Amino acid sequence: MHYRFRIPTAIAAALMILGCGLARADDKAALDKSFDALKTYDFGTNRDDLKAIDDAIVSTHGDAAACLELEKRLAAVLSTSASRDAKDYVLRSLRVIGTAESVPAIAALLEDKDLSHMARYALELNPSPEAGKALRDALPKVRGQLKIGVIGSLASRHDTESVAAIAASLTDSDKAIASTAAHALGAIGDADAAKQLGDFLAKAPDDVKPAATDAYLACAEKLLKSGNKSEAITIYKSLMGEGEPKHIRLAATHGMLAAQGLKN
Amino acid sequence: MKQRKQTTNRRDFLATAATTAAAISCPYIITSSALGAGGKPAASERIVMAGIGIGNRGNDDLGSFVGRPDVEYVAVCDVKKGARESAKRRVDDHYHNKDCKMYGDFRDVLARTDIDAVHIATPDHWHAIMVIEACRHGKDVFCEKPETRTIREGRLMVEAARRYQRVVSGGSQRVLEDYRGVTEKCYSGELGTIREVSVECGPPSKPCNLPGQPVPADIDWDMWLGPAPWAPYHEYRVSGSYNINGTSWRSWQDYSGGGMTDWGAHKFGGAMFAADVRDQGPTEVFPPDGKEHKWLTYVFASGLKFYHTPGHGNMDPVGTPGERIDPKPFPQYKGSGGLPGDFIYCVRTREKPFRDIEYAHRTCSVCHLGNIAYELKRPLKWDPIKEVFPGDEEANRFLDRAKREPWTLS
Repeated sequence: MHYRFRIPTAIAAALMILGCGLARADDKAALDKSFDALKTYDFGTNRDDLKAIDDAIVSTHGDAAACLELEKRLAAVLSTSASRDAKDYVLRSLRVIGTAESVPAIAALLEDKDLSHMARYALELNPSPEAGKALRDALPKVRGQLKIGVIGSLASRHDTESVAAIAASLTDSDKAIASTAAHALGAIGDADAAKQLGDFLAKAPDDVKPAATDAYLACAEKLLKSGNKSEAITIYKSLMGEGEPKHIRLAATHGMLAAQGLKN
Repeated sequence: MKQRKQTTNRRDFLATAATTAAAISCPYIITSSALGAGGKPAASERIVMAGIGIGNRGNDDLGSFVGRPDVEYVAVCDVKKGARESAKRRVDDHYHNKDCKMYGDFRDVLARTDIDAVHIATPDHWHAIMVIEACRHGKDVFCEKPETRTIREGRLMVEAARRYQRVVSGGSQRVLEDYRGVTEKCYSGELGTIREVSVECGPPSKPCNLPGQPVPADIDWDMWLGPAPWAPYHEYRVSGSYNINGTSWRSWQDYSGGGMTDWGAHKFGGAMFAADVRDQGPTEVFPPDGKEHKWLTYVFASGLKFYHTPGHGNMDPVGTPGERIDPKPFPQYKGSGGLPGDFIYCVRTREKPFRDIEYAHRTCSVCHLGNIAYELKRPLKWDPIKEVFPGDEEANRFLDRAKREPWTLS
């Protein structure tokens, strides 16, 4: 009787192992097929051809080795002659699973006028320090709108290490770059950023002053939130003068009330 | 000349009133007698408005504002030449003049010092940048739903509104108007403590890989894309039709959260209202797993649950009807004229509107959390105070997305 029950269990276990193996083989075959499709992927081709990669991004969560293997495979596509759209797809995928491993391959695209944005798409919320460093390293190399993009991404990362480098752009002859630099310092909002903005505001050109003033207010909010009440009050007081636009004085008044613990 | 001076004096008055309000910690009510006798305020007392994004919904909003006697509508802005010309004709016909100005770039609208407020009805991926810039320029804002494309955008919009003490209203008219009956029962205590709410709305949006088409002469494609990733023009990317079947921008991830946000902004908004949690958020989100969770499930710290039930029901709160609960005051629109009227009233009184941007952001966050859970296909923990996924670095990457240069969110 015992013997009769043991055989089916063993067969079931063997079948399960065989099934898992076949499923993994199927997954690998599907993934290979999707990576093949990526070679000719472009706008208008079938997005479903890449589904196995989408599925692998989800299924490798929690499996560091499998995820790393997938990341490396994706990053390798970036140095091939795959289309802009294919690389766009890769960068969107690396946004989800990218680590320090893929940063060099992505960073190489920060100066590419067509792919710089999507390179930032992959790097901006990649928590590895290498991602931040790659953006900082790109800052002196990029120009014009690409510079605006890189500054914006450093701002989104609240990258305190880039305060000095961003502050250097406050005096850029391109008003858009200068204004972006100002807003970025406001987004970072630490004492160092506040000092840079305060020093700059004393001599800011009219067309950058609004951005710098907004950023200075943003710094005050962050300083207040982090317990630096006296520094915040100093900023608010400096923006309450008659020469400031009315909505700035209103914002500074509101800030002063908040600093005093009063609601309005 | 005299009218312009009077208009300046009115704006000075409102700004001073707001400052005074800040100092004495209470809203300042402008009585109807102060605004002028009869039904129509003096020209100097009208709120000067402009519209940004005048497609299907934008046109509806334009109609809500231009028809008001207490609004002076002066400008329209759209990246499509045909849309702005059509909108200008509508405004000019209303006023029997040719004074409405047209713009293709919203920054030119915001730079005008005579404009007090704007309504925004562009595709969702533009909302945050426009609302924040409008606040920086001292404008009050009525922004269509879904007000945000990402969770981080929403928080930054609230910060800008608060920094400049701007009235920023979201745009879901359905929260109160469609669900008044059932939500009144929630606030009256008739349904007891609300334990769960089922919400029917469509699925998340999808990635778009449409082929390119020639760009029509009358659209500024680069400006239409704005902060979204570059892609070739296709009519099904641009169409503002209300479906999410792949023939409109609402279908695609780069511009919209799909049905989850397009109708979710209404229906999860209704759920938040019904359960009286408009300033809160869940602490866990579970995608459907075919086992314990039949539907996408949100769990709040109080035990309250929301379910996303596509194809089933509407916005259906379930409580404990036999439980004795004291009634709570039922939030209503202020002023007259629905949600747009509530906004205009609050522009005058500097109160927070019914769909204040904090409530709008919280509602959209629920929608976005659902989309993230659907995409990652696993349970998520959420900290609604810090607005992060604690210890979940992968999920935190979905809090925002890098903006295409030269557009930034900072």
